[in-house]
Amino acid sequence: MDTLKDAFDFRDFSRIERIILVLFSIFLLIFPWLGFGSFVKTVMIYFLLFSLFGMGWNTIGGYGGQVELGKAQYVGIGAYTVALMMVWWKIPFWVSMPIGVLIALGYSFMIGYPLFRLKGHYFAIATICTSLVLQDIFINWKLVGAAKGIELPIRDHPDFLYMQFKSDTYYFYFIMVLFYAGLFYMNWFRKSKLGYQLRIIKDDEEAAESLGIDARWCKIKAYSIASAFVAVGGGFLAVFNLYIDPYSVMDLDLSIKIALMAMLGGAGSMWGPIIGAAFLIPLDRFLGSWLGAQKGLIGVDFMIYSAMIMVVSAYQPRGIWGIIEQFRRKGA
Amino acid sequence: MVFLEVVDLVKDFGGVVANNHISFGIGQEEIIGLIGPNGAGKTTLFNCIVGYHKPNFGKVVFKGKDITGFKPFMTSREGIGRTFQIMKVTAGMNVFENVMVGAFCRTDSRPTAQKEASEVLAFLGLEKLKDYHLNELPIASQKKVGLARALATKPEILMLDEVASGLNPKETEEMVNLLKRIHQEKKITLFLIEHVMEVVMPISQRVIVLDGGEKIAEGLPKEIAKNERVIKAYLGEKYAKGL
Repeated sequence: MDTLKDAFDFRDFSRIERIILVLFSIFLLIFPWLGFGSFVKTVMIYFLLFSLFGMGWNTIGGYGGQVELGKAQYVGIGAYTVALMMVWWKIPFWVSMPIGVLIALGYSFMIGYPLFRLKGHYFAIATICTSLVLQDIFINWKLVGAAKGIELPIRDHPDFLYMQFKSDTYYFYFIMVLFYAGLFYMNWFRKSKLGYQLRIIKDDEEAAESLGIDARWCKIKAYSIASAFVAVGGGFLAVFNLYIDPYSVMDLDLSIKIALMAMLGGAGSMWGPIIGAAFLIPLDRFLGSWLGAQKGLIGVDFMIYSAMIMVVSAYQPRGIWGIIEQFRRKGA
Repeated sequence: MVFLEVVDLVKDFGGVVANNHISFGIGQEEIIGLIGPNGAGKTTLFNCIVGYHKPNFGKVVFKGKDITGFKPFMTSREGIGRTFQIMKVTAGMNVFENVMVGAFCRTDSRPTAQKEASEVLAFLGLEKLKDYHLNELPIASQKKVGLARALATKPEILMLDEVASGLNPKETEEMVNLLKRIHQEKKITLFLIEHVMEVVMPISQRVIVLDGGEKIAEGLPKEIAKNERVIKAYLGEKYAKGL
């Protein structure tokens, strides 16, 4: 009971934050009926998806303070499980997605156990490596489509079991539900025992251990939670795009994007990953399609993107949310 | 029964012997002071007991259980609390949350942890500071928060590493009174490393002296103050005459 209460209890946030959350929720609910084109709808879907990724990353990267740059491998595990089970055995999304999450959980324990012997930069490098190794395996593994990737068989009719729809609206509402599930989970998580323990591990690991906290085990748990989040998103990506390959779902780019987005928004805060995704996804998409189409301007979007991150992190290491809080403290 | 027992403990860091065959016992609800010049191996001894270092030889027995080689979080769960000489000053959590994390050592429930944190803060007279972050507090308050955090884990023995360093005389006196209260009201055994004689001598029931990694004396504060080896190694002639 207490768990449920904690998840839905936003009372410790300020009035303004709660009002914005409500307005934002209303906006999301009516968004498909506002008459935006499919491009904007896709941007919105990616925004919600990356918010979900960011929230997952935030458990280990934000609250736990571990620079984790290998989330793409779990996107891949989630996506490949859904795609392969459908191609091979025609297993519906609603069965394969939870299985993908379970595989991601198991794999994350296997990877996390040795990885969390490392600290700081070494840990960050190791996470990148494990992700790249898995990507390389998939690129060369004929059974799973190798570098060509796999196409999901398209159903004749829109099918809820397989999550195939004609209109993006359905995908939008589905990812919105996942987004809120993630949001409520995070609201519980930040107030949970693990949440508090991670925060002191981030501050002072030696002191944390002296308070009876098994720092390594806490980090492994948080890492697995993050992986589960990301695997759910990966499963969604498979049914949304109907095509996956190791470059699109397991790339280092994706890992870094997930981490940077959360850091830009504000790691270790409730709204940070959402704010980060709200900034970067539209920027990424609009600039990508607009500048990418101009001759000689390919890559400029990435320059703008990285310049923004540098400016924000130089000004306030706790990201955009850190800047907002700084102003609020001054005002108060 | 001996509450905490260190038997023939050796710790060397590749040639430098920081603790050389040290043995002693602490009884329940005793207050023991550990003194010695810089580099005598006091903090190393602490770290060997709570598990930050693994001793090369010897045993640590707590309440009849061999805890040698236990990790720090395990010794903490067994009931050994500790504070640090230098608190890392961080801005991540406020005072209340810091103490709450300590309370989470014995419970999974947030309301229980919150209640216990409030109790500990009230006991130490820190309620007013509960919304501040560590980096906003003066050293004396930081040390008290460290104490509160450790107390919240409900230790049976509290190991204090230079709890009075960096404090002015008035703050030192306050700290001594606080330690006395913790001992009397919470019935917690205290084991303190201390350089400040004004802290060790009045409250310790027994004092252990280390020098160069060896235990050179152990006894009542009065005896220690007159012990020639101790005077030579650490206290100095002036302190001995002043008594």
